[in-house]
Amino acid sequence: MKLTNKFTLWYFAIMLLVLLIGGAIVYHEIQWKIDRVEVVRHQRLNDLIAQQIRSGGDYSGHPTRKRASILLIPADSVPKGISSYYTRGSGWNPEFQANEYRLVVTSFYTIAGQHYRISTYSFIPSFYQLLPGVVDSFKWILLLLLVLVGISGRLISKYILAPFKRTLRVIQFFDLKRKEPIRLPDTQTSEFKELNEFLIKMTDKALEDYQSLKEFTENASHELQTPTAIIRGKLELLMESDIRDDQAILIAEMQNALERLSRIHSSLTLLTKLENQEYEAAAPICFSDFTREALDAFDELIEMKSIDLQINIEENIYLPLHIALADLLLTNLVSNAIRHNIPQGRIRVNLSKAGLVISNTGKAPEVPTGELFERFKKGNSGSDSIGIGLAIVRQICDLMNFNVVYEYASGYHHLAISFLSPVPASKLLQNLEVPLQYTLQP
Amino acid sequence: MYYMKVLIIEDHQELARNIHDFLAREGYICELCSTLEGAREKISLFQYDCILLDIGLPDGNGMSLLQQIRAERQESNVLIISARNALDDKIIGLDKGADDYLTKPFHLAELHARIRAIYRRKNLGGANIVEFNEISLNTDTFEARIGASLLDTTRKEFDLLLYFLVNKNRVLSRQSIAAHLWGDYTDNLANFDFVYQHVKNLRRKISSAGGMDYISTVYGLGYKFNSHKHEPE
Repeated sequence: MKLTNKFTLWYFAIMLLVLLIGGAIVYHEIQWKIDRVEVVRHQRLNDLIAQQIRSGGDYSGHPTRKRASILLIPADSVPKGISSYYTRGSGWNPEFQANEYRLVVTSFYTIAGQHYRISTYSFIPSFYQLLPGVVDSFKWILLLLLVLVGISGRLISKYILAPFKRTLRVIQFFDLKRKEPIRLPDTQTSEFKELNEFLIKMTDKALEDYQSLKEFTENASHELQTPTAIIRGKLELLMESDIRDDQAILIAEMQNALERLSRIHSSLTLLTKLENQEYEAAAPICFSDFTREALDAFDELIEMKSIDLQINIEENIYLPLHIALADLLLTNLVSNAIRHNIPQGRIRVNLSKAGLVISNTGKAPEVPTGELFERFKKGNSGSDSIGIGLAIVRQICDLMNFNVVYEYASGYHHLAISFLSPVPASKLLQNLEVPLQYTLQP
Repeated sequence: MYYMKVLIIEDHQELARNIHDFLAREGYICELCSTLEGAREKISLFQYDCILLDIGLPDGNGMSLLQQIRAERQESNVLIISARNALDDKIIGLDKGADDYLTKPFHLAELHARIRAIYRRKNLGGANIVEFNEISLNTDTFEARIGASLLDTTRKEFDLLLYFLVNKNRVLSRQSIAAHLWGDYTDNLANFDFVYQHVKNLRRKISSAGGMDYISTVYGLGYKFNSHKHEPE
């Protein structure tokens, strides 16, 4: 939910509450005021009647007596302490022939030793007659407020939150790899100022850390190459000296470990280079030719494993890809398809304008296929690989804005790369489903 | 036999010694040099068949030396050895007249194969034939022959045989063979079955063409091409 809407809603809720309480107050105030005015009027009328009695004349037909009742009461029924009181309630109005809200004011007088009780009454607007008016007016006030708060909330928040939105946009486009410090717009709001300062500090720190991490990786892999080369050379020289069989095994094991080390190094360096975007394509290359060449290079391996290769390569597909990257991409994909295959398995290569799909038979992966794009993740914990091939593939795809997916379905590993970035690579797989419905050979 | 003269410009003594020891056994005359200044002097005074040049030297970038070499004499082959596997370096290096580029850590046998390849390319001219007894390899046409009969080898088998011939009597590790045949970055090389298959096929093809089985397995380590074998097993 948007901040503006949240604020507006809260305002609405508060307004509603205030108006409800206000309505009740207004209603009671009006009711009380009307009563008060009436009571005062009737007290005056009662006083007048008492005066008339005191004066002793005959006022029986006088308009003052129209709604008055005058009673002579014994002295002991005169209430102590008060001279007048009033009651309210429903009463029959003969003039309108209806039960109406009636206010009766009763006053006590002592005139010439006689005790009088004088009551006058009148019909006044009742609770139920007043309420709709109060509710109605508050309805209109509420509506007006709603509209005003709604509109002004939107406009004001747009104005006030503008620097915040700009900051958000800047942060969204912030990319560590581009190594550009962020630039945030000035603002008068102290909270946003604080936020901006914090963000600038944070991103600067991140950039710094990223830079030093990168330098460390680069230096480490660079500096480690020479000692690795030295050890490798020494082992090779040692290999040729007169050694026993058990020593040979030791050397071989060392060499294996060394090979791994050097491979991890070179792969990491390569990934760093890809991240640094050191590979800019000079001119579009014919990816169809590259794909064919890559497959040719692995021809013998495919044959050795008795793998059935089916290719469907569309001609003249040009991509703005660096030669080295095209090579890396295809080599990694094809070698993976061979290595993780089963004897007498199949590999299908499908290249079209939309993208490249390489499918191969193989054991089901032990981890979710999406995770295999991560560095040092292996589908099969027992395998000899270091698990960086797919990380390289993804890095290249990211660099080129290609979408890449890896799926495992019905005995096939599918690796699909969509060259047209808005089209998800999984779409390529859907189109392939039909020709891939082969049964596995035993 | 002509003894090739090699200048090793490398600031890491141990690495330089490795290269020196390995090449010396091939009968190469090797000189070591660890600084740019020393290298400049040696190059202006002597003539070398091959110069192994490390780019990162303590007193400067080896690239500048490349220019000097090319300006002063055309004969020496230059092979750049670098710990930086930067594509730019490779392109610039080859652009400035280096003959090849090798990234650390390399296999010594690979280095040797590269040196021989450059040498063949530059010094023999015309047909590039590598011969040993009854085996002859044409590195232009990729034809392998046993005596007069053409051996039906695949490209990889041809490369493998050439690698063996260049590195005769040396133990070639499976890693080194795999790196030679498939290059870097494939993450595929741990699979030595392929090396085994290729060697097996190659041996079978040579034997069936009447050649001697020079290649033997070295327990635990790899393979070796024995030039002293005289009778087929």
